[in-house]
Amino acid sequence: MDFAFLLIGNGILIGLMYSLIALGFVLVYKATDAINFAQGEFVMLAALISGSVIVGAGLPFWVAVIVALAAMIAFSFALERVVLRPLLGRPIVAVIMATIGLAAILRGLGPFIFGSGTRSITLPVGDEPIEFGPFILQPVQLVGALVSLLFLGAFSWFFLKSRMGVAMRAVADNQQVASAMGINVERYFALAWAMAGIVAALGGIVWGSMLGVDVQVALVGLKVFPVVILGGLDSIPGAVVGGLIVGIVENLAAGYLDPVVGGGTKDFAPYVLMILALMFRPYGMFGKRKIERV
Amino acid sequence: MFHRESGYFKTTYRADQALYPLPIARWTVAVFAVLALVLPQLLTVLSGAQSAEYYISIVNFILIAIVGALGLNILVGYTGQISIGHAAFMSVGAYTAANLAVRAGMPFWVTLPAAGLMAAAVGAVVGVPSLRIKGLYLAIATLAAQLIIEWTINHVPWISGGSQASIEIPRPELFGFVLKEHRELYYLFLVVAVLSIVATLNLVRSRIGRAFVAIRDQDIAAEIIGIDIFKYKTLSFAISSFYAGVTGVLYTYLYGVANYENFQITTSIDYLAMIIIGGQGSVLGSIFGATFVTLLPIVIRVFMENVGVFLFTEQELPAVIPAVRLGVFGLLIIVFLVLEPEGLNRLWRNIRSYFRVWPFSY
Amino acid sequence: MLRIRLPGAAAIAAGALVLGLALPAAAQKKDIVVGSMCDRTGATQTVGVILCPGANDYAALINSRGGLDGHQLKVIEIDNEYKVPQGMESYERFKKEGAVSVLLYGTPHTMALTAKLTEDKIPGTSPGFGTAAGADGKRYPYLFPIAATYWSQAAAAVKFAKDKFGGNLKGKKIAYLFYDNPAGKEPLVILEDLAKLEGFELKTFAVPAPGVEMGAQVLDIAQRYRADFVITHLFGRSPSVSIKEFKRTGFAMSKVIALVWGSAEADLEAAGGGAVAEGYNTLQFAGVGTDYQVHKDIAEMYKKQGKQPPKEMASTVYYNRGIFHMAVHVEAIRNALKAKNGGAITGEDVKNGMEKIKGVTLGGLMPPLELTPVDHEGGGWVQVFTVKGGKLTKGSDWFRAYPDVLKKHIDADAKRT
Repeated sequence: MDFAFLLIGNGILIGLMYSLIALGFVLVYKATDAINFAQGEFVMLAALISGSVIVGAGLPFWVAVIVALAAMIAFSFALERVVLRPLLGRPIVAVIMATIGLAAILRGLGPFIFGSGTRSITLPVGDEPIEFGPFILQPVQLVGALVSLLFLGAFSWFFLKSRMGVAMRAVADNQQVASAMGINVERYFALAWAMAGIVAALGGIVWGSMLGVDVQVALVGLKVFPVVILGGLDSIPGAVVGGLIVGIVENLAAGYLDPVVGGGTKDFAPYVLMILALMFRPYGMFGKRKIERV
Repeated sequence: MFHRESGYFKTTYRADQALYPLPIARWTVAVFAVLALVLPQLLTVLSGAQSAEYYISIVNFILIAIVGALGLNILVGYTGQISIGHAAFMSVGAYTAANLAVRAGMPFWVTLPAAGLMAAAVGAVVGVPSLRIKGLYLAIATLAAQLIIEWTINHVPWISGGSQASIEIPRPELFGFVLKEHRELYYLFLVVAVLSIVATLNLVRSRIGRAFVAIRDQDIAAEIIGIDIFKYKTLSFAISSFYAGVTGVLYTYLYGVANYENFQITTSIDYLAMIIIGGQGSVLGSIFGATFVTLLPIVIRVFMENVGVFLFTEQELPAVIPAVRLGVFGLLIIVFLVLEPEGLNRLWRNIRSYFRVWPFSY
Repeated sequence: MLRIRLPGAAAIAAGALVLGLALPAAAQKKDIVVGSMCDRTGATQTVGVILCPGANDYAALINSRGGLDGHQLKVIEIDNEYKVPQGMESYERFKKEGAVSVLLYGTPHTMALTAKLTEDKIPGTSPGFGTAAGADGKRYPYLFPIAATYWSQAAAAVKFAKDKFGGNLKGKKIAYLFYDNPAGKEPLVILEDLAKLEGFELKTFAVPAPGVEMGAQVLDIAQRYRADFVITHLFGRSPSVSIKEFKRTGFAMSKVIALVWGSAEADLEAAGGGAVAEGYNTLQFAGVGTDYQVHKDIAEMYKKQGKQPPKEMASTVYYNRGIFHMAVHVEAIRNALKAKNGGAITGEDVKNGMEKIKGVTLGGLMPPLELTPVDHEGGGWVQVFTVKGGKLTKGSDWFRAYPDVLKKHIDADAKRT
């Protein structure tokens, strides 16, 4: 039983780290209906940028955070403007493919520009494990989880209470009506992407320091899908709850299912769970049900 | 295909749907057929046997890709169901064929359709959730299917033939003649690709094809006019997977080994790129896309090998070429999506309709 | 990072392109063409970006010294993004250019080309990947693993553990933490066999792709199973993740040994630097570090061109493997040229030359390789390097283990088909 507790503790932390990546995905989908298959590459780009600031240029950590934030916001803005705006209203497969193309560009040119060697960036909290009752925690994961929760709080507040957030929800609900009400739809699209850029920047730094900085950071992008589908594509709390579920299920599967089936079920269990969940709730746990009309 | 009409003269649906709209079309097809049949000999005469083998190998990859792209286009382009799991069905086909060939000694003309049917059966099962799940949720569900199929193959030695998950398959044989070289395998791939093209052309102008298009355009409306959505969506998945299964077998015969690591998500994504660049919902588009995506990395590399030497040192060049190739590949996908959403096929149609009334446009 | 020469050379460039396309680059008569498959952009790009320059630098070094018997080596490197169709296409391209041997890369690629190599009579080398059964030179005459296969590595890892426990593994608990793909599962049969032979208890822990997180598995090893020793066989990013997790759970790093793809400087760096991994043991099939004559020679070669030695050289594990990989081809071609007495050599000659390789050590960078028509693995030698003071330091001489057990399995596998 003790072991199960430890596994769940593991799962909660790592799950929140997954949420950190998923939040960017959900933000963009919620506001603009665009699907970002390059989420992993976004995070990789942020990691590469902060890696070259810290290791390459030898600047302190906080400079890297600022540079990564600025670069990712600028990048997301430009991306929205140049690539995604012309694709508005087109079938989702077009947007999916565009972001897949973007992923190829980032994987090709990212390491070319920012260096392909593996580097390590260390968060100011250090590397020494922290003991917390029976749990021994990696400081990186703790930071990641806290950042994730912070974003959850901030975005929830933003969408529920702030004027801009309400306007963004209106845009998400119905672009035509929103723009008839005098909301500048395109401005809010840009804002949503900029917010996704912020999330990706911090995600990149946290995951970069967990995995080491090189192209392989992009692999975390694969973890996003079960998280967002379970939680619902357009729900901020859904991303966090989805992350928690995936994290916990993964860990329990590795601990209790693997010995039975004799293979790694960690990656596969969340997908199975996801399919089962979809059969009962086709729009995720917190997703908005779309009403279709002819 | 390359003939030019002088205007619009069709007055019946039958004429509009005809495979050969004009008598000259038969001639174009005949010329193509002859060219295709003598292609290896032609290339040998033009560039010598050694180079010809290389060029034929590229043609072979294009032919195989055409089969897979046609299948994916039936599902995505005609029926409007997104799949990111196309490569998984290639695995299903590959292992079915390899097991039949190795355990039962079946020849390729048995394993090929059998693998297709197996893939179709698995595809139909994967297609079941499509009734309830739509759009991106469906896309991710197919991604899950890909992972589940991979996992199953990897962990069931009865399918995969052991921990290496690879089964060596003998070269295809016809009347005692073993197809080994690319120039020999070419004819097998050519026949399968042509059959797939003809089958698809006929499928999409049949009742089934029209039902697919109706579902794509508006599934609720389609249901109201009496189309059994469940039946046709599953059927679309099955047909598409049949093509994928056959594609998997072709790759398997080419490599001489069935190995699921050849059919992972990156392969699915390559095939999606083909139909999007080529043109969704179009047979010609699938062919264009398969050709384009196969050739693009090669052309970029040849270009960089020749031009890059002026810009970079010998040590730098090997690092530059892949980066440029990946960058240009991604960029072209985006450019196509932004500027020509209907892909190469639309570009081709535009050119044709321009010349239709040329030089006396009104 | 890149110097762009003559930005205004566009016109020349365009002209050259036309020329280049019109006249397919014909190899000069004296050049010997070697094909090199590489992955600088795909799933294993962190390896490729270091390994391929190592191979190229060694070939350049040979060329700068006048080549082989007056022939220059022409290495054609083609990146395939770890995609098999692209890899296959690059192989056909090598063939078109008249390659006499091919440096393979990637297990799926090796499998997909195995039949073709034999049909075309072009030898291909697959150090550190491909299947263990490839060591059987009779069954796969043109496939050369040239370095310890996963089977040999697993056997060596068990031997290392045995020595660590004073020559007795009875009743010890050994955990095998592996990447859940065919390559990761390959050593299982050997480990299971050795568990019976040596009387240790074996428990396996799978890490499925993409392996960016393995908290549960390592926790299990350290706190539930309480392993006495761990053999890890991980790829990509997962080795560094495993190091971090072992550190978190307080598991002694000296009780861990990684097979060859979890053993590079990049893995230590990604885990947070060498200090984190203090005590971590790694298996190597080529020497580690830059204390070999060949590094000085390569640095000298760059100096003559007025350049700094490449930065890839600092990542010695992969860089040295690149040197090793190319060196085997160089020696094989050298042998082939000798046998042909200056005549034109074919793939078959190079294959025969490869089967004569013996006693080439490159000052200890290479194992005491001995390739024969039967044994294409060359003995299956490995070396242990242990992290000490944040650096990989030599922990053992070249050694191999349980050759009879391995032989039994290779023969059994040959009977399977």
